[in-house]
Amino acid sequence: MALTTAPSSTPRATGPVRTPADQRGSGRIWQREGLAGYVFLSPWLIGLMAITAVPMLLSLYLSFTNYDILTPWSEIEWVGLANYERMFTSDASYWHAVQVTLSFALIAVPLKLAAALGVALLLNRAWRGVGLFRGLFYLPSLLGGSVALAIVWVSMFNRDGAFNSFLSLFGIEGKPWVNDPEWALETLMVLAIWQFGAPMVIFLAGLKQVPTELYEAASVDGAGKVRQFLSVTLPMLSPVIFFNLVLETINGFQGFTSAFVLSNGTGGPVDSTLMYTLNLYIKGFVDLEMGYASAMAWVFLLAIAVITIVLFSTGRFWVHYSDGEGR
Amino acid sequence: MHPATPPMADERAAHDHRTPFPRRGLIHRLVAAAIVLPLVFGTAACGGDEDDGPAAPNTPVELSVFWWGGEARAKLTEDALALYTSKHPNVTFKKTWQANQGYFDKLATLTASGDAPDIFQIDDNFLTEYASRNVTLDLTKYKDDKKLDVTKLPESLWQYGVVDGKLAGIAGGENTQGLVYNKTLLQKHNLPEPTTGMSWADFITWAENVSRTANVPGTMDPSADYKAFWVWLRQQGKDLYKGKELGFTADDVTKWFDLWKGARERGATPTADVIHEGNATDITKQLVVTGKAATSFVWANQLPELKKATKDDLGVVAYPGDPSAQWARASLYYSVARSSEHKDVAVDVLNFLVNDPEAGKILGTDRGLPSNLDVRKSVSEGVTDPAMKLSIDVETELATKFGQSPQVPLKGHSKIRAELIKAAEEVQYNRQSPSQSAGAFLEICKSAIA
Repeated sequence: MALTTAPSSTPRATGPVRTPADQRGSGRIWQREGLAGYVFLSPWLIGLMAITAVPMLLSLYLSFTNYDILTPWSEIEWVGLANYERMFTSDASYWHAVQVTLSFALIAVPLKLAAALGVALLLNRAWRGVGLFRGLFYLPSLLGGSVALAIVWVSMFNRDGAFNSFLSLFGIEGKPWVNDPEWALETLMVLAIWQFGAPMVIFLAGLKQVPTELYEAASVDGAGKVRQFLSVTLPMLSPVIFFNLVLETINGFQGFTSAFVLSNGTGGPVDSTLMYTLNLYIKGFVDLEMGYASAMAWVFLLAIAVITIVLFSTGRFWVHYSDGEGR
Repeated sequence: MHPATPPMADERAAHDHRTPFPRRGLIHRLVAAAIVLPLVFGTAACGGDEDDGPAAPNTPVELSVFWWGGEARAKLTEDALALYTSKHPNVTFKKTWQANQGYFDKLATLTASGDAPDIFQIDDNFLTEYASRNVTLDLTKYKDDKKLDVTKLPESLWQYGVVDGKLAGIAGGENTQGLVYNKTLLQKHNLPEPTTGMSWADFITWAENVSRTANVPGTMDPSADYKAFWVWLRQQGKDLYKGKELGFTADDVTKWFDLWKGARERGATPTADVIHEGNATDITKQLVVTGKAATSFVWANQLPELKKATKDDLGVVAYPGDPSAQWARASLYYSVARSSEHKDVAVDVLNFLVNDPEAGKILGTDRGLPSNLDVRKSVSEGVTDPAMKLSIDVETELATKFGQSPQVPLKGHSKIRAELIKAAEEVQYNRQSPSQSAGAFLEICKSAIA
């Protein structure tokens, strides 16, 4: 590859698409301060290479092999696209996990954002002690993906757990929520929604940014509370909504800990909580099919990338950035 | 430190010859690294494989030892290893242990990174996986030289560690299948206790009677339990595995699921969600100790541990049906990594743990009955814990009835175990009929062992 370009004597002649500006930009890297910058960055860069980039590329390589974790590297067989083929054509559990993950993300993420926005609106007022409530609502998401919380969830939503005792006060007979294949995933969704603190705090920050003049102007024009919310708050908040949506969607797809704890690492009862990442873990570490698990990981990465790109492309239609457009 | 002039000059030179900041080149190099690095690591991993230097008696040796278990086991194991060090002062140990959950993940990861522990605990779920990939050292040569003495072990017990003609591990203890029942509950309601040798049909009738009288489901539904299924299969003249094949058909699975469907419909077992709780491997969730059923299907040596989780008295008998379908199973093995740099010393430690009377006394029955029969005899005489005593008595009594051990499970066994739970639960939750679920299960089993 380098040979073809070597004879050219000037850098300028290497490619028709390069503009002089490009030339300057790339050349600058090797200038004195550029190099110093890289030297100072080197601990981080080495870390990035050793801890992130190299393992990622290795896993890409592994995804084309039958690596089973126990076999030495020298005996790994290259299997081409076989892992990918198996994933798309013959692995029923794979598609089941995709379905579980999609339904989890499609239901839990919008509800979580709605809860976060709703509570943020309530807490965006100057009552006495509002800070305390903000703290309390934020608490569950501090505990976040913690194992302890998932264990508490399991004991709360057992057949003889606290939630059913609560229901029985109203004469309602509960279900064995976490041990019922029809309800186990829904219980996990409720757990995810309950941890709305992080997006709530971001919404609160966004709400503080909305200029009060806009509300005043709207009310002068005769807009009621609902109208103000739809025509002022939502558009002004749309960049924050967008940010939360992207972040929470990615989070939602990666849900692992709670499903792992609730099902003892099996995805049960009867695969009802077999999230994508849990399935990946089982394939890699229990069934010892690390090559296949690597392939699953790469498809997952691509899928999330595609979903993010789609979100970004729809964003053009509903996200309003107040500065930049008006000026 | 000098200013970075020389490299900059170099880069200038490169810059003149090539495209500026070679983006493409960078990607190529990374890809090359991704392909070459594994090869380098691979050779490195193989490098230390065969050279087992003669261990001079006084060179210091440090062996890493890794096992799963609770704190009590950790204490006992550390004491036994300390005893070895006191006899061989040049040998010290790096000890690591953890709970069962996550143990095999970590072992696999350590092995993959070329850092397998010199000595590690393993069980029959994974022994074949590790042995067939040559992670474990073949101990046959040491057995033949008596450096690893198996002469005092029951033959079927050490044979259960042979995979493809290679001795992959030495049994760290012996146990067998045991039906544990809640004695206190039965006495309170004047109900008869289950007995060794009762048929499955009689057992289910007995359980139905318990459910009705005591208002506690008579038995755990073990249709998801591979060991109960396995014993039942052997009573039908089948087996879980025959050579490299499955030893059963979809028909057998259907019959097994049907048996328990009937039991559930008669009220002999709890509801599906409670059965699901009991399907967890966690001993504290076994229904016989959570009070949600009168009996559970476990390993007999788990009795002392079960006893800790309940105030009630527990009893143990053989699984229903002909007890000769049961066998002396290695509760776990000690294996040596083939990559160990001190294989001879490691094997000597194995020999010490299994055969030394003093070590045996320290280790007790924590890993099942001691494998060495002489050690077992002296240990059983000294036991005071009633639950432990009972478990020994049952094992000793059943030992006279044991049949031949089956072959050690095939590679893919852990997958089959997990899939049996799913298949059985499909039926328990009434999502599939027994034959539907059995058919799907068999297909998965076939691909798991392929």
